[in-house]
Amino acid sequence: MALRNLGRNRRRTLLCLLVAAWGGAALVLTAGFVRFSFDGLREAIVRGGLGHLEVAPAGDFSGAASSLERSALPPALAGWQSLRNEIEARPHVQAVGAAIQFTGMASHADRSAAFLGVAVEPDRERRMGLKVKIRSGEDLPDAAPGEDEDLALLGAGLARALGAVPGDRIVLVAPTVEGSLDAMDVTVRGVITSGLLELDARLLKTHVMTAQRLLGTGNVSSLIVGLDDTDRTAAAKAGMLPLLRQSPLPLDAVEWDTRAPFYGQVRSLYVGIFAFLGGIVFLLVVLSTSNTILMSVMERVREFGTLRAIGTSRLQVASLVVLESLWLGLMGGLGGAALGAGLAVLINHVRIQMPPPPGAVDPMELALRVAPSDLLAALVFIIVVLGVASLMPAVRVARLRVWEALAHD
Amino acid sequence: MTVDAPTTTPLFEARNLTKAYRQGDTVVEALRGVDFAIRSGELVVVAGPSGCGKTTLLNLLGGLDEADQGHVRFAGTDLATCPESGRTLLRRRQLGFVFQSFNLVPVLSAFENVEYGLWLVGVPKAERGRRVDEILAVVGLGERSRRRPAQLSGGERQRVALARALVHDPLAVLADEPTASLDSRTGTTIVDLFARMNREKGTTFVLATHDPAIIDRAPRRLLLCDGLVVGDERIGPS
Repeated sequence: MALRNLGRNRRRTLLCLLVAAWGGAALVLTAGFVRFSFDGLREAIVRGGLGHLEVAPAGDFSGAASSLERSALPPALAGWQSLRNEIEARPHVQAVGAAIQFTGMASHADRSAAFLGVAVEPDRERRMGLKVKIRSGEDLPDAAPGEDEDLALLGAGLARALGAVPGDRIVLVAPTVEGSLDAMDVTVRGVITSGLLELDARLLKTHVMTAQRLLGTGNVSSLIVGLDDTDRTAAAKAGMLPLLRQSPLPLDAVEWDTRAPFYGQVRSLYVGIFAFLGGIVFLLVVLSTSNTILMSVMERVREFGTLRAIGTSRLQVASLVVLESLWLGLMGGLGGAALGAGLAVLINHVRIQMPPPPGAVDPMELALRVAPSDLLAALVFIIVVLGVASLMPAVRVARLRVWEALAHD
Repeated sequence: MTVDAPTTTPLFEARNLTKAYRQGDTVVEALRGVDFAIRSGELVVVAGPSGCGKTTLLNLLGGLDEADQGHVRFAGTDLATCPESGRTLLRRRQLGFVFQSFNLVPVLSAFENVEYGLWLVGVPKAERGRRVDEILAVVGLGERSRRRPAQLSGGERQRVALARALVHDPLAVLADEPTASLDSRTGTTIVDLFARMNREKGTTFVLATHDPAIIDRAPRRLLLCDGLVVGDERIGPS
């Protein structure tokens, strides 16, 4: 009976369905955009140099989330080449690159500035898909530098502070692992940006071998692990832990999001925005459909009176109203999910360029990512909304006085 | 109309029934102290001019409304003290209603309109089908049972309404102006059906009407005027 009642005033039912479907579609599109933003930010963070996992001596991770914050610690990971090879042999691992975090002073002509150094293996970074934004000059070459062929990339702010441009020779001074100071001439290969002004003012990037020569050690600080799929990070870590436990030096692996609390903060912000938007959609759909349902109910007062007169309980007539709304919600929700998915395909087809997500440098092509769970969530949401919208009309129907309802015109 | 000898136990018993309605600033006294009893198996016409309180009386007898003062007892239950849920169950199981405007559910077929009452009392589907077919055949609508009310004539709709009122074998059927929306010939046919059901099934009928054709044929007439019973006439065996 509930389903058939929807066909009584087709225009009103259609209006209700349209409102519900647009609400559902708006949710699907918003969810797709949020997922796109999360994924974009996540990949920007991972591919920006963090990698998916970082393996380092267990003690190094305590109390310091950022690898740059650990730059004061001397590189302690010995025998890292064999460990690197073993991890690289594991499934879904694209590459593993050694990294050293260190600090020191850089001088060019009469200018000096403190730097935060990050030493990497450029060939492996490239295999991992890690990218650096070059402002001028070139990236570090894949091959390890020979003696007196050391190269460095300078953060844009640091290069400006030193007055250095690609091709200039600068002097790096840093404490060795034994505590003395050592100096080294390096050639500026390029000027880079991390996307963060504060970091660019101190950032210096070089080859692991250059840093090892400067610091007087064969060790590295950590190994950066790149996977073929970010979603496999937790599984890859779990699979790696037995191998790390075999190491004489206690080692630990930390996931990318632990080292990027910024991601969690941005995610929370987006979730809050999404919830707010969901609340607005909820209110809009509830208010508009509730009114329509009420109109539909008030036109059938005598019919409800008749149903009550012949023995239908208050709860049963109220349930009839709610059931009609739930049917509307089901149909509107299905329509909304289909509409949202269709619009997402259309929008993705248009290839809209979006500004870079927070923390990223490159603009991104809008690619709304609609997951099946989003479609299901939108469907359930619209059904719930219509259910809520029917409560007030249902209560009014349940409270009708039978004799009055029967006399209603 | 004739009627078999009714039992002596009152099915309906009204004592000092009073009911007033407020219409704007005016208080309308629909019933002003009504007393009567209707025995099981009777066919009673409540007659009187428009506004005399017929519908109000039927509403109180059917537990659709509550009296301001006095009592209505139906099958031993005092409707004044019975909660709404209890009155709903009484209406569902022991009463049938026929209305002037038929009041059928437009989205249901004739069959489904009649079946609904049986569904309410929890009759199994197969049994429902059998009983609905049977009662629709009795009222002469066996072949048009799949049609919706809009596809039926006024007389046919009222037959469906009567079938709906009778299908669950109620103790009594309350009919408010059942022929007012019908032409006189169709109205006569419907009243004949009421009399037949009363005779064959022993169901008590209380008909509110101001149609002289019905009043003249009634075995018992309860005459109302200005909210008071001004006459209680019986014709034939009592």
